[in-house]
Amino acid sequence: MRDMEERELFAEYKRSGDVALRNEIVERYLYIAAMIAKKFVGRGVEYDDLYQVAALALMKGVDRFDENMGVKFSTFITPTITGELKNYFRDRSRLIHLPRRVAELRSSIRKEADEIFSETGKSPTAKQLAERLNVTEEEVVSAMEAGGVVSLDQPIDNGEREGSNFYEMIPADNSAFDEIEQRDALESAVRTLSDEERQLIAYRFQQELSQAETARRMNVSQMYVSRMERKILQKLRENLKKSMAD
Amino acid sequence: MQNIMTLEFPLKRDMMTTIRLVTGGICSLAGLSLDESEDCKLVVTEGLLLLLRRGYTKACLSFSGEGKLCILARGSDYEAAAEDRAEEEISIALLNALVKNFTMKREGDGDSISFSFGG
Repeated sequence: MRDMEERELFAEYKRSGDVALRNEIVERYLYIAAMIAKKFVGRGVEYDDLYQVAALALMKGVDRFDENMGVKFSTFITPTITGELKNYFRDRSRLIHLPRRVAELRSSIRKEADEIFSETGKSPTAKQLAERLNVTEEEVVSAMEAGGVVSLDQPIDNGEREGSNFYEMIPADNSAFDEIEQRDALESAVRTLSDEERQLIAYRFQQELSQAETARRMNVSQMYVSRMERKILQKLRENLKKSMAD
Repeated sequence: MQNIMTLEFPLKRDMMTTIRLVTGGICSLAGLSLDESEDCKLVVTEGLLLLLRRGYTKACLSFSGEGKLCILARGSDYEAAAEDRAEEEISIALLNALVKNFTMKREGDGDSISFSFGG
């Protein structure tokens, strides 16, 4: 198979429908998924998750590719993977992950900077911090730039309203009732899930673990987590639609 | 069309973080959404990497526009290009996937790429 030309490879797969051959094709082109996933790093989603989305898009693309279209597979699959990644960001990632991630990164930067200073007696550069924290330099600089972000859970310490936090200071309006209604609907929808599904939701959306870490804790494959997550989201979406309509 | 900023710099991978940060700032000035800004940063760096792979050692990057952000990147000071057609194909496909009006052409001594966001 390794020596087969791209065209004949896909023609052979179309003819035979051989899953083993499909898997080999996917492996041959996985580097494209990795390459594109890397380009989307730094938007608040871990590389593992991006790679998973890109690899799934690649798998679907192998089945959809028509070798007689006159384009190379790489040209065909790149926009497909890009589109899937953009949909992934649009659907669920930014609002959930970014603010907390930036806050966590800022805190890690402060700790690491102190450590480097105590080791070397010098203030670290963004490059040094990026290497130590295994993130990009841009993420370090952007997180530092994002100063002044205040957590709504942070206690207000002005001597007047002890025990209050910023969240309590936000004036309520009518939309708060809508939010309560939506939260009730969401809680009802979550109750329809199995224990395993609820566990996954807790890992992925409350603790914000990556798919890889969730898989490790649940003792299943990352692919299984990915499939299950899609299934759960679909189920929740349908249940929510139903309960909001009632 | 109003010129917002023009930058000339050595075309090296080390410069990409700085360029991404500058681009992010300009996107913010131009009123682009967060998603558009992220895409714009990706397109700018990918375009510059394309010029780098084609063998250019210097680049000039211009940001201009009214209502939308127009970006032009030109490569200059050509040296021998590294041959990596496969990577170049993926780069071009990615750029076309992210912006509808991406163009690449040969102008004078060097290649140039242009595209716009917003508007």
